[in-house]
Amino acid sequence: MKTFIGNLLAIYRRELQSYFNSPFAYVIAVVFWLISGLFLIVLLLSPQGIIAQVSASDQLGLGQTYDVPYEFLKLYLGLLGSLSMFVLPMLSMGLYAEERKQGTLELLATSPLTNWVVALGKLLGVVTFYSAMLVPLMGLELIAFSASDPAFPLSLFLLGHGGLLLLGASTLALGMFISSLSDSTVLAAVMTFGVVLLLWVVDAIATALPGPFGQSIGHLSLLTHFTDFTEGIFDTSGLILFLSYIVLGLYLTAQSIDTLRFQRS
Amino acid sequence: MIEVEGLSKAYGSTLAIKDVTFAVEPGEILGFLGPNGAGKTTTMRILTGYLPATAGTARVAGKDVHAESMAVRQRIGYLPETPPLYPEMTVESFLHFVARIKGVSAGDRTAKVTSAIVRCNLEEKRKVMIRKLSKGFRQRVGIAQAIVHNPPVIVLDEPTVGLDPKQIIDVRNLIKSLAGEHTIILSTHILPEVSMTCDRITIINQGEIIATDSPEHLVERLTGKGGYWVEVAGDTDNALAVLRSVPGVLQVEMRAADGLADGHSRFQVTTEADDVGSAIAAQVVEQGLGLFELSRHRASLEDVFINLTMQETARETGETVPAAAPAAVPETAPAAEQTEPADPTDTTKEELL
Repeated sequence: MKTFIGNLLAIYRRELQSYFNSPFAYVIAVVFWLISGLFLIVLLLSPQGIIAQVSASDQLGLGQTYDVPYEFLKLYLGLLGSLSMFVLPMLSMGLYAEERKQGTLELLATSPLTNWVVALGKLLGVVTFYSAMLVPLMGLELIAFSASDPAFPLSLFLLGHGGLLLLGASTLALGMFISSLSDSTVLAAVMTFGVVLLLWVVDAIATALPGPFGQSIGHLSLLTHFTDFTEGIFDTSGLILFLSYIVLGLYLTAQSIDTLRFQRS
Repeated sequence: MIEVEGLSKAYGSTLAIKDVTFAVEPGEILGFLGPNGAGKTTTMRILTGYLPATAGTARVAGKDVHAESMAVRQRIGYLPETPPLYPEMTVESFLHFVARIKGVSAGDRTAKVTSAIVRCNLEEKRKVMIRKLSKGFRQRVGIAQAIVHNPPVIVLDEPTVGLDPKQIIDVRNLIKSLAGEHTIILSTHILPEVSMTCDRITIINQGEIIATDSPEHLVERLTGKGGYWVEVAGDTDNALAVLRSVPGVLQVEMRAADGLADGHSRFQVTTEADDVGSAIAAQVVEQGLGLFELSRHRASLEDVFINLTMQETARETGETVPAAAPAAVPETAPAAEQTEPADPTDTTKEELL
């Protein structure tokens, strides 16, 4: 157990180090922050923004009441989720493809490490990096919420972002598996994007399919469960689905590396 | 230290190696010699636990590479063909990482990393990012990562490929300095490398071991007979007759005459013993032929290698190969870096070097 933790930490730290030392990761983070910051401003402060709309409807005396912070959080997290769908494949694409290209996979595979430790360490590393990308945005949101009266419940805020993190981790786990399939990072990114897009909209496909088959497919949708989280609904089935995606990603990665060794010519 | 028995590996229906058996004694350097695609890398990958074998067993330090894979991996240092390096790490942090995943305890790590850095002459590059290093330094970092956990067995796959001559010498000296304490397997297709660094040589061709012996024995085994190169001026037929008349001469063959002065010809003389030179000289001079060159021909490792691999190929295709090495070159001693203009017919050897 001690060596397991030690190995896990070693892989984790190396993975993290490679993100913080690579210009590519910084570019991704900066673009992500730029776009999500823009979303934040547009959503809150622009003439079409949520505040302007609510005050307009107030002036018209429509008599509807809005929970502005709640509406904002829901919309904003939705936007972040969609944006992440583009960004996450770029974070996960290099996880194994790069190791294969550099030949370092051979080092890992000939070291006393199990495939599981390597996969888990890598996933933790990239999830940490993704969380680090979210932290500044959470700060901005909290500043906006501090103006809210009555105070916005922190639990909703945390639940929503927890959902975003789970969505990110599931996507990254699947992306990691796809990355382990080839030594081309571009191919991995494109394929991951395709798979994530499919899982994102699978509920739309499912409604078109009749019967229990359609229903069961619909449950696989990332979007439905993510939306629950952003709306402040904690549903264990969502949690289980996300965790299943993560475990599946890890399992498939470990298996694919094993298969690779058998087939390698 | 390393025992390999009946090892085979199939990729689909093609056999990469078949029935490979050899052993390496503790502290020995074994050279694994073979043309490209002979199965060297496959064998090494099986030894290091990267690939499973299709049949046969391999034991490193008494442990089976498949059944006790983790224990073997801990006891082996491996430098693959391309050194496995993370470009965005510094030399020191990379070696720390490797020491860690190889299971070196936290207290020992700094000392072991420092000792690997010192042994591989990397002190000045300690804090430099690997991506900024030249090819030679990268190779050294690759060797450093293979020895950082002080493993009893070191496997080096083509450690000097792509280096300049000075770096090659450095790397060879480094490898030699590792022997004794460590058991080393070194693969290469460069012949002088094995003759200079290795105690024993295993020649592999088309997935099969064709010989395992010390470099000296291998040469001896192939060339029991002596041989000379003779360049004379005068009538060719006459010269042939004269050379054949020398007692002790078994065979005289005329060789390519490119680059020779008019009226000169060149012969390869195979003799019974190794001491017929003076008799040849005396006879040639006595018969009034001009003697321009008389040099003893010792089979080099190149000859042995080419001969053995050719025989092997021929046996399979059913052709016969002349007993004499086709790439024989006059040589005073097996030179390290053979830079002299080779025989024009000697293209095979050129490629090999």
